[in-house]
Amino acid sequence: MQHQTMEIKTAVRQFIAENVLLGVHQTTIEDATPLVTGGLIDSVGMFGLVAFLEARFKVEFVPREINVHSLDTLDRIDELIRKKLAAQKTDASATGQQIR
Amino acid sequence: MLSDWLRHTAAATPDARAIIEAGPGEEDRVTSFRELFEQAASLAVRFVEHGVRRQDRIALVLPKTTEAIVSVFASLMAGAIYVPIHPQWPKERIETVLADCGARLVIEGDSASPPGITDRETGGSIPWPVASSTSKDLFVEGSLPRGDAADSALILFTSGSTAQPKGVLLSHRAVSAFVRWSAREFQISSADRIACPSPLSFDLSTFDIFNMALCGATCVLVPGHSVWMPRFLVQFLREARITCWYSVPSILAGMLEDGRLAQHDYPGLRLVLFAGEVLRSHYVSQLQAALPQADCANLYGPTETNVVTWCRVPHGFDGSLPLPIGQPCSYATVTVDPASGELLAGGDSVMSGYWNRPEDTQRAFVSLDGKRYYRTGDRVSQAADGNYLFLGRLDRQVKRRGFRIELGEIETALAGCEDILEAAAVAVDDGKMGIAITAFVRPRSPDAITLVEAKAHCARTLPLYMVPDHIVFLDAVPTGSRGKIDYLALSRIAKALNHARSDHATPDHGNQDRSPAIHR
Repeated sequence: MQHQTMEIKTAVRQFIAENVLLGVHQTTIEDATPLVTGGLIDSVGMFGLVAFLEARFKVEFVPREINVHSLDTLDRIDELIRKKLAAQKTDASATGQQIR
Repeated sequence: MLSDWLRHTAAATPDARAIIEAGPGEEDRVTSFRELFEQAASLAVRFVEHGVRRQDRIALVLPKTTEAIVSVFASLMAGAIYVPIHPQWPKERIETVLADCGARLVIEGDSASPPGITDRETGGSIPWPVASSTSKDLFVEGSLPRGDAADSALILFTSGSTAQPKGVLLSHRAVSAFVRWSAREFQISSADRIACPSPLSFDLSTFDIFNMALCGATCVLVPGHSVWMPRFLVQFLREARITCWYSVPSILAGMLEDGRLAQHDYPGLRLVLFAGEVLRSHYVSQLQAALPQADCANLYGPTETNVVTWCRVPHGFDGSLPLPIGQPCSYATVTVDPASGELLAGGDSVMSGYWNRPEDTQRAFVSLDGKRYYRTGDRVSQAADGNYLFLGRLDRQVKRRGFRIELGEIETALAGCEDILEAAAVAVDDGKMGIAITAFVRPRSPDAITLVEAKAHCARTLPLYMVPDHIVFLDAVPTGSRGKIDYLALSRIAKALNHARSDHATPDHGNQDRSPAIHR
């Protein structure tokens, strides 16, 4: 899990640095830096971030998961993605059992 | 009076659906006209019993929920003026607006629990009415004050050229002029399901909530978090079986580009209205092709006048020419200042004035042939067929995602940071769906402030849509021969930087926290 957390945060940090902040050194975005409420990402940037997360981690968001709080920091994004990945795993094994 | 519409409709069709709001789970929350009226009347009675007087201000710091709409009608029934404030504005800005309008009551909360109502004079609170307690209160509904059409109904706060937002004061008559016209022109009926993703603090929101009350249509609330997620909006449009849609063009452009609007069918959708900024012609033609059964129309007018001109998109519009802002609505009188080409707008929908700003109000209007016109600040031309065409602004106001922004307000906010000595903001075309704002700042010393800190400073004082997309640190802000900031030069730099960014989507990872200082 630790490994996965590093990977999620690094990928999101890199995405924000390259596509949203354009050239900001990655290390200036801390795990708890407020991205949305801190003015780094606005509503349209949030849309770009969601599209990135969906493509990169092969997850799909539903409308009620997307709000200012759930995506405000790297910590929260990491938590949300891990929760979604875990849910997918459970779904997959449940489906597997049914097939058997 | 606007609240009379709800009273009549609730009497005529009490069980019809007034509001549909997506619930926290899969279940929709439905409010009938009777329930809406009873809740609003009950709340209005509480306001009056609490001492709210005619034309007192009631601030609604609420997302666009059922409770927010109940609060709108309750305020109006109590003879008060409602002041919608976006709950995501920075605290500082909300406080400024509350103080400026002298709000008597503040209603605030999120969509999860009933809102809290606080009296700003006494610090006391008013409980939110529970649905079952309404019948007793209704008995005294007759005690509510009778108003006049000239009474103010709401104040909308927009970006001001200095640090302070300006309050646009709109009367019952002004709102009524637009709503009655739109109901007639677009034949709104009880069969309609209207959706308008704009927050209540936006003049577009008078369309859905008051057409609901006037025509008995259903107001289907767009889930707040979907607003800037085009895929979710397209899904909502389809699943909620919307018949009339009204939004800013940026949202439609997003739905066309990223939401794949054209890939689905929307059998009931008969009307798509857009206003607030220019929808680029190629999107207009794409929109018409994606929704062949729907009438599309461009509505034009600043917050100060609401809609004053409009243009139905002609069938087969090919997007080779810009879509006009059209011709005057029946209640509006418009003319052009021959000297400047500025569009002047008069008629019933025009604001009473700016709240508490007599000098700004005086400057905003001009008298011609005994008629009072609002100076829109928009430069227009008139085509041979009588249609007006929007050419640009006469000042430094810009529209971004339909939101109106005074660049001066961004500069004032940045200069308010102790580590920034000087700031200048420009807006240039982002080459995609709208404009990008670049702020050039001169820091106190080269290492005084980072980009992240500068953006965080903006976010503390400005709504997110006003936070600059890019901040460039300079040793000196370029000035012209008279010592004034050379905005043309800055626009050229901003364009060049945008161009460079789109050419190099993946920047050098070794970049430091600030862009290299640019020297003249």
